[in-house]
Amino acid sequence: MAKMKRYHEPVNWKKELRLAPGYLILVLWITFTFVLLGWVLLASFSTTKEIFSNKLLASGLHFENYVKAWINSDVAGIFRNSLIYSIISCSLLILICAPAAYVLARFVFPGNKLIQTGFVSAMGVPVVMIVLPLFGIVASMGILNNVLSNAVLLVFLYIGINIPYTTIFLMTFFSNLSRAFEEAAAIDGCPPTKTFWLIMLPMAQPGIITVTIFNFINIWNEYFISLIFANSDQLRPIAVGLYSMINSMKYTGDWAGMFAAVVIVFLPTFILYIFLSEKIIAGVTGGGVKG
Amino acid sequence: MKRNKGMIILFLSPAVLMFSIIFLYPIVRTIIMSFFKIDGITDPVARWQFTGLANFTKLAQTSLFRISMWNLLRIWLIGGIIVMSLALLFAVIITSGIRFKSFFRAVIYLPNIVSAVALATMWLQYVYSPKFGLLKTVFSNLGLTALSKVQWLDNDHKFMALLLAYCFGMVGYHMLIFASGIERISSDYFEAATLDGAGRLQQFRYITMPLLKGVFKTNITMWSVTSVGFFVWSQLFSTVTADTQTITPMVYMYMQIFGAGNSVTERNSGLGAAIGVLLSICVVAVFWLCNILLKDDELEF
Amino acid sequence: MKKKMMALVLASTMAASLAACGGGGGQTAETTAAAAGGTETTAAAAADGAETEAAQPAGDGSGLVYWSMWEATEPQGQAIQAAVDKFTEDTGISVDLQFKGRTGIREGLQPALDAGTAIDLFDEDIDRVNTTWGSYLMDLEDLAKAVDYEATANAGLIAACREVGGGTLKSIPYQPNVFAFFYNQTIFDEAGITKAPATWEELDAACAKIKEAGYTPITCDDAYITCMFGYHMSRLVGEPKTEEIVKGGQWDDPAVMATAEAYADFASKGYFSDTIASNVWPAGQNQELAMGTAAMYLNGSWLPNEVKDMAGDDFVWGCFSYPAVEGGTDGVDAANYGAQVLAINKDSKNAENAFKLICYITQGEFDQMLSELSIGIPADSNNSEWPALISCVKPVMESMKTRYPWAAGAEANADMTPIIKENFLKLSGGSIDAQGFVDALKKAGN
Repeated sequence: MAKMKRYHEPVNWKKELRLAPGYLILVLWITFTFVLLGWVLLASFSTTKEIFSNKLLASGLHFENYVKAWINSDVAGIFRNSLIYSIISCSLLILICAPAAYVLARFVFPGNKLIQTGFVSAMGVPVVMIVLPLFGIVASMGILNNVLSNAVLLVFLYIGINIPYTTIFLMTFFSNLSRAFEEAAAIDGCPPTKTFWLIMLPMAQPGIITVTIFNFINIWNEYFISLIFANSDQLRPIAVGLYSMINSMKYTGDWAGMFAAVVIVFLPTFILYIFLSEKIIAGVTGGGVKG
Repeated sequence: MKRNKGMIILFLSPAVLMFSIIFLYPIVRTIIMSFFKIDGITDPVARWQFTGLANFTKLAQTSLFRISMWNLLRIWLIGGIIVMSLALLFAVIITSGIRFKSFFRAVIYLPNIVSAVALATMWLQYVYSPKFGLLKTVFSNLGLTALSKVQWLDNDHKFMALLLAYCFGMVGYHMLIFASGIERISSDYFEAATLDGAGRLQQFRYITMPLLKGVFKTNITMWSVTSVGFFVWSQLFSTVTADTQTITPMVYMYMQIFGAGNSVTERNSGLGAAIGVLLSICVVAVFWLCNILLKDDELEF
Repeated sequence: MKKKMMALVLASTMAASLAACGGGGGQTAETTAAAAGGTETTAAAAADGAETEAAQPAGDGSGLVYWSMWEATEPQGQAIQAAVDKFTEDTGISVDLQFKGRTGIREGLQPALDAGTAIDLFDEDIDRVNTTWGSYLMDLEDLAKAVDYEATANAGLIAACREVGGGTLKSIPYQPNVFAFFYNQTIFDEAGITKAPATWEELDAACAKIKEAGYTPITCDDAYITCMFGYHMSRLVGEPKTEEIVKGGQWDDPAVMATAEAYADFASKGYFSDTIASNVWPAGQNQELAMGTAAMYLNGSWLPNEVKDMAGDDFVWGCFSYPAVEGGTDGVDAANYGAQVLAINKDSKNAENAFKLICYITQGEFDQMLSELSIGIPADSNNSEWPALISCVKPVMESMKTRYPWAAGAEANADMTPIIKENFLKLSGGSIDAQGFVDALKKAGN
């Protein structure tokens, strides 16, 4: 785990002491987290009988849970699908939503509140009510007949369904930026469009990266759309694959295998997350652009 | 303003266009459906039966739906207070210049990306187990025999058990939002404030808090959206059939659209649509309220 | 110039802020292309183009589309896959077999059928297929007659299919199951119970002996607790009446009180697990029944399979139908017995081939395989060898005459199910009495 970022500043004991209560709280919470998640991890190496009689690992490590989960389904394939879907959708989402969020947060114009309300109410509508009627239309248009168009459609849906969320999320980050930057840029003769891409967007970076992490994990874990729209095994993303593994393990009473499947799917997600969150640090402290 | 017109249109149109393609038809359809009695959600319009406001009055009269709304309110309010305070606390600690910041942040966020199925099974079969559960062990080691004998999953405790398990997973998510909000407050402000002689608490009170208003708004909106969609955890805490302590409007909606549990029960997607409309109104109301209460005063520094 | 600059700005911002996303805009095009190429080839290789034909209105007669409720990795899925492979090998007819899983079928099938997706056959629970999706089903009487299908089929199940299909055969059962008390024979032997209880009094006596022997007589989980209520009610007044009471909210009916009293009596005698009120599935079946601390559990014949990893090989199963109640309408020959069923889309142009595939799955070799892999009951009456774990179910299954729906009607009213569940859990846990149970139901109204 790339956890220890080496700080070159010497230990300032006075400062560390002042932060001691903070450390204490975090360490307590994290211990709790480790106990809980550790249980899941240990369970994935135990037998089902051990899980339900509280004797985790009593008969040693059972790697066969992992072997079973791995060979039972095309893990590499579903990973590849999810990775492609997530990367494309996340990039496009920022390109589409950041400008919209900026405009909505910054300018007063007729329809602004309406669009915002529209986006927010859309987030409140249950996904089933959105997805199933759409499916009716799409299926009768014949888009699902072809693997490629089906894949494009999936990405289109992942993007579309996350637009309200991403936009509303990013609005905050733009609305809190000081107007002084734009004013200064305007005085220097920089057109507003350029100001946005060159100055404002980089300044909203913590927000953009945070929302990208969330989008990534949302799309990575997206289940319902993929279940309904991915009309072929070759298109299935990770969540659908995971649920089918989990279900088959649950229904056959193989709970140890279920935990193993969960861990298999969780690990890459976690590595991705660590990678992404390192970028936050890099973006904020690594010089780059500062506000 | 005028010279920005082109830019506004250019910047907004892709998002609004895609939004309209995906959401407009389903939303309008949902609103209309809520006034009809419809079996299957994709039934052709010819089979819809207009019933006016009957769906809404039926919901109001159904005690189970009222219970589900009550549960939702409890999740939103109690859970919201728990999650928001912990998330803000952690975010402040994490951005206060401590060591191993990225490690702490990663671990706190961790539960959010572990599949809910595994987490719920862990809580149900391990933490709350009346035979060998973590709580039982901890309490009996502390000598609190009364507490160690509590059956955390019986009807009296099930709601809180569910809520705690759920909140545990959500804290990290909201902490990240808070932390990115605090980080975005450029250190220049703090440097200036320090130069002006402002203390740490003062800085928190006069710089961090006001600048976090927007982030609070985002957090509350997102919390409301996820609460309204509360479904998976409820199902995991009560498999097959719903439970009075864990049922939420979304679960009730599923029962209406796809049938409840293993038995074949009467379905009414119109009723489901009505629930969708109600939930959506709740989210918008919260959003508006936030906008009014947490108005972004023009903060100029 | 201006455009070029925009592009530059865009590219650099993308590179700077989206590097986190694992690649900028330039790369995505490549990955899409690569992905598309990859999936296309695999698709073509997989089912010689069955994929592309899948959603076209079936009519060219070249292939079948089969949506299944199982997962590819489940034993049932594996057996069905094997049957389909053999079918394709024998007949040359390609089959696009899609394992949609339970959610996928339950939530996705009807929208797909409504949109005209060409699905030739699908499967799910007998009641859901025939009731919820009844209007999409093809009448199979002629197809079945043509191959004399019923000669080797389970007569009771075929009759059940006809009954729920409105008089004609619209679905073919497989993976039969029955709902009854499952018990640990070893505990019964130790407690000196020689005969499985057939009446409530005998159950009472058996429980007393088991308790004496130091075991928990009965356990249950929240997911199945309403079944106990339903079966007792239906033994008393019959299933139709139970359903009437539950749907109509007639909680004043004496049967409700009688049921509540019977359970309150058992609860006060300590026959139920201490944790029955807080058992969330699968705690009761896994931690108590399978571990050998509790003796009985009212569940479906899938139970031995679900807990086999915990129960171990030396666990001896017993099975008896819910006991008869004094003065009651129904006897031990009534229970929820059913099956998964296969049905053909009424718009299918490949009905004959589809039926042939159904025969492959539900008869002979692959029915046997399905039964062995999933430790389930075979559908083909020629496959008389039941898996050892569930051989105890055979006499119970064969004695069935009256068919209850799921939970014997207790869950017929979705608005009441959680309320019945809550209060029946409390009743069995001993925190309310019979009167309290009836009052709580009355208070909830509908």
